[in-house]
Amino acid sequence: MHLQIEQLIPIPLQENVLARESGIWNKALSLSAPDYISIQAPSGTGKTTLIHCLYGVRTDYSGNILWQGKNLRQCSAEELATLRAKDLSVIFQDLRLFPELTAWENLMVKQQLTPGIDEKEIEDWMKRLGIGHKKNAPGKTLSYGEQQRLAIIRALIQPFQFLLMDEPFSHLDQRNTQIARELILEIVQRNKAGLLLADLDQNDFFPYHKTYTL
Amino acid sequence: MSQKRPDLLNKLLLRNARKGRLLSAWIALCTGCTLLLLSVMIWSAFRDLLNGKGSQDSLGSTFLTVSKQVSDASMADKNSTQISGADLEQIRKAPQVQDVGLLTPANFKVAASLGSGQMSFYTLLFLEAAPDRFMDQMPQTWKWEEGDQTIPIILSRDFLNMYNYIFAPSQGLPLLSEQSVKALGFTLTMGEGPGQMNYRAQVEGFSDRISSVLVPQSFIDYGNKRFAASGAAKVSRVIVKVGDPSNKEFVTFLEQHQYTTNSEQLRFSKMRSVVEVVSGATGALALLLIGIGALVFILFIELTMARAQAAVRLLLQIGYGPKTLSSYLVRKYIPIMLSALLVALLIAAILQFVAAQKLAAIQLQIAAVPGLFVWAAAGLSALVLGWQIRTAIRKALRS
Repeated sequence: MHLQIEQLIPIPLQENVLARESGIWNKALSLSAPDYISIQAPSGTGKTTLIHCLYGVRTDYSGNILWQGKNLRQCSAEELATLRAKDLSVIFQDLRLFPELTAWENLMVKQQLTPGIDEKEIEDWMKRLGIGHKKNAPGKTLSYGEQQRLAIIRALIQPFQFLLMDEPFSHLDQRNTQIARELILEIVQRNKAGLLLADLDQNDFFPYHKTYTL
Repeated sequence: MSQKRPDLLNKLLLRNARKGRLLSAWIALCTGCTLLLLSVMIWSAFRDLLNGKGSQDSLGSTFLTVSKQVSDASMADKNSTQISGADLEQIRKAPQVQDVGLLTPANFKVAASLGSGQMSFYTLLFLEAAPDRFMDQMPQTWKWEEGDQTIPIILSRDFLNMYNYIFAPSQGLPLLSEQSVKALGFTLTMGEGPGQMNYRAQVEGFSDRISSVLVPQSFIDYGNKRFAASGAAKVSRVIVKVGDPSNKEFVTFLEQHQYTTNSEQLRFSKMRSVVEVVSGATGALALLLIGIGALVFILFIELTMARAQAAVRLLLQIGYGPKTLSSYLVRKYIPIMLSALLVALLIAAILQFVAAQKLAAIQLQIAAVPGLFVWAAAGLSALVLGWQIRTAIRKALRS
């Protein structure tokens, strides 16, 4: 899977972005799966905006984002849905779980859409990440750390060629971070996918091929 | 592991659907549908009654018998009431007239007799024939060919009523039911002198449309040749099929040309206009109500979706396509709409059945089950409502 970024500038951050040197904003970049990409993004540089733009949640930018040569801006709602269901997965910084569903139901919503991973394996992943006992707990009662682990599992359930991550371990301790990144790497490798992780600081969560500063 | 697959979309999208509100919206929709189907049913039943497809279309028949008025001045002239070819052509071209048929009288002497000795009954009689297409009663035996000894007769129901309600009680005679009259055979004597002939006659039915003693056209034609002194029949009455007998231009035509008609039928025709206005108004009201019912139902869908907006947005973000969501919701709401329509159909069918029973008691016949128009209205409503629901869901998903 190929990602092309052309002179991308988020309109609300335009002045801020153009005032300093960036490895991504207003540049032409070409990234391909299975590249592992790290994006170092100090506070206020537009890290979450970048992930949202790449995932097609935001369109208030100038320049172009092309997945497999297809301009994201020109994708119909159905094409975007297909891209998100089959090729592009995401772990949002704000996690975005359904508070009205239980932990298990949050995963099943995704599994029912793209039933690639069987329920037994999903349950194993929950146990592995230490939230097996929270299976039937309502989403809104989970701690941030538990929600983050749930969001990680949800992102891994679907088939994907690129995994976008926005501070995926921000609420996890070192041990849980280690377990979670092992699981992510395992599934990314299984999918022969690329990953793009945006975080505040330099990190060695994954064996990156490229590192950019936002 | 046996995990029961829960309907998660239902939990996310329809959890906010308040049962009470759904019930209210359903009732509103069902009421609208019921009224619409009922108004179509009423319209269709009146249409059947008024257009006289039934055998007894005594309610506002569109068939009128027309003849020339007998005035003081015309009394002396026996031929003054005769309808000429030119008159016929004029009537044919009159406003609202769809068809005209001659009521051909027997131009010869006819006598009816029953029994013999002291219990005998004898009367002079007249006979008339109308073209078959104007008959409201067509028994299977309604035919006569030269050589047939039995003549079928259709009697005006008015005559029997007059006998039963006026004549018989005053004369101390027994009452006669329609069945008993049909069972009686009597003798008809045709013509005078040596050429006189006797036939057996049998009443085969009763007409509400034509006040006369009717025999098949073939017999009148034969009799007028065989028994009449002068062969050509003098036609004085015609039967006219009119679209709207209460039409002003038609009534003016009759007055101007001094034609007279059975005014009772004109009174019914006024009733027909009233009925048309009433069923039209019911129809308009029903359309308004189904509109309101549909609106309430659509608003309920929109409100439920507005409440689930956050879930919809997140579902779209995790890869659910708008089509997947809209077809899921359409699959949920369409059966609810269809159930309202089905209940409405059931109510309409029950009411039609009850109405058919009640009307049968007063000699009016309507179908016992809803007709094609009601089914068509139900089908059309289903299509329009389905389309509206789909559009509302798609709009709500886009917003």
